[in-house]
Amino acid sequence: MKRIKWTIMTLIISLSVGGALATAPQHDCRTDTQYYLTGGAYMPAGTWGVNYLCDAGSDICSYTTDGFGNYYACRQGEYRLILGGITNTPKTKPGKK
Amino acid sequence: MFKRQVLQECISALLIMLFLYASLSKFLDFHTFIGEMNNQPLPNSWTPFLVWFIPCSEMLMCIALLFERTRLIGLYASLFFMSLFTIYSLFIVFNFFGRIPCSCGGVIKRLTWNQHIVLNLFFVALSISGIVLQRRKFFKSILITKNSFV
Repeated sequence: MKRIKWTIMTLIISLSVGGALATAPQHDCRTDTQYYLTGGAYMPAGTWGVNYLCDAGSDICSYTTDGFGNYYACRQGEYRLILGGITNTPKTKPGKK
Repeated sequence: MFKRQVLQECISALLIMLFLYASLSKFLDFHTFIGEMNNQPLPNSWTPFLVWFIPCSEMLMCIALLFERTRLIGLYASLFFMSLFTIYSLFIVFNFFGRIPCSCGGVIKRLTWNQHIVLNLFFVALSISGIVLQRRKFFKSILITKNSFV
């Protein structure tokens, strides 16, 4: 019985550790500066959970940029500004999605 | 008897798999996990405590479930935590907090809140089954020990 137990446990632990390592993000866009789209302009979103939140939804919550005026979707959801968060003027002109 | 023991091991193994994967995913992407906690409709002042408490508790439950002596404690703890997560998910689904945050965390983040509830309920049921089987075994062993003294 002990042999069966430890075989099952070894298998399960290996699966969990392997799974966690395999699904860990390689390059995470969420670590880059985040922007949100408002009125066709991209504005700095600040820190997630501090300046803004993402509610459940199919929209794009925040974007990242490559620095050449191209913006890419990063977080999914509905953007929600936290009162007292960043209220800067747009940093760049509207770019491609 | 043998079948029941194998069943018990399988229940513990499934719970260990869930908690180990969940805690490792959080530790491997700790920065994101902090953001995810802040994104939840809970006071942000709780975040420094919760970001350590949740993955460490999950890790401790894995250790408790691994060994025969501490398995019952591990099963009760997993029942408590999974019930708590289910209640929290229900609060989210019924819009108790006024907003629905994204559901996040490893592969599980791809699940919707409703799917989260189904998954949580499955593990609640699994914990209860594990407790029933383990308690029966526990009381049987006490009875055997008592009889050996008579």
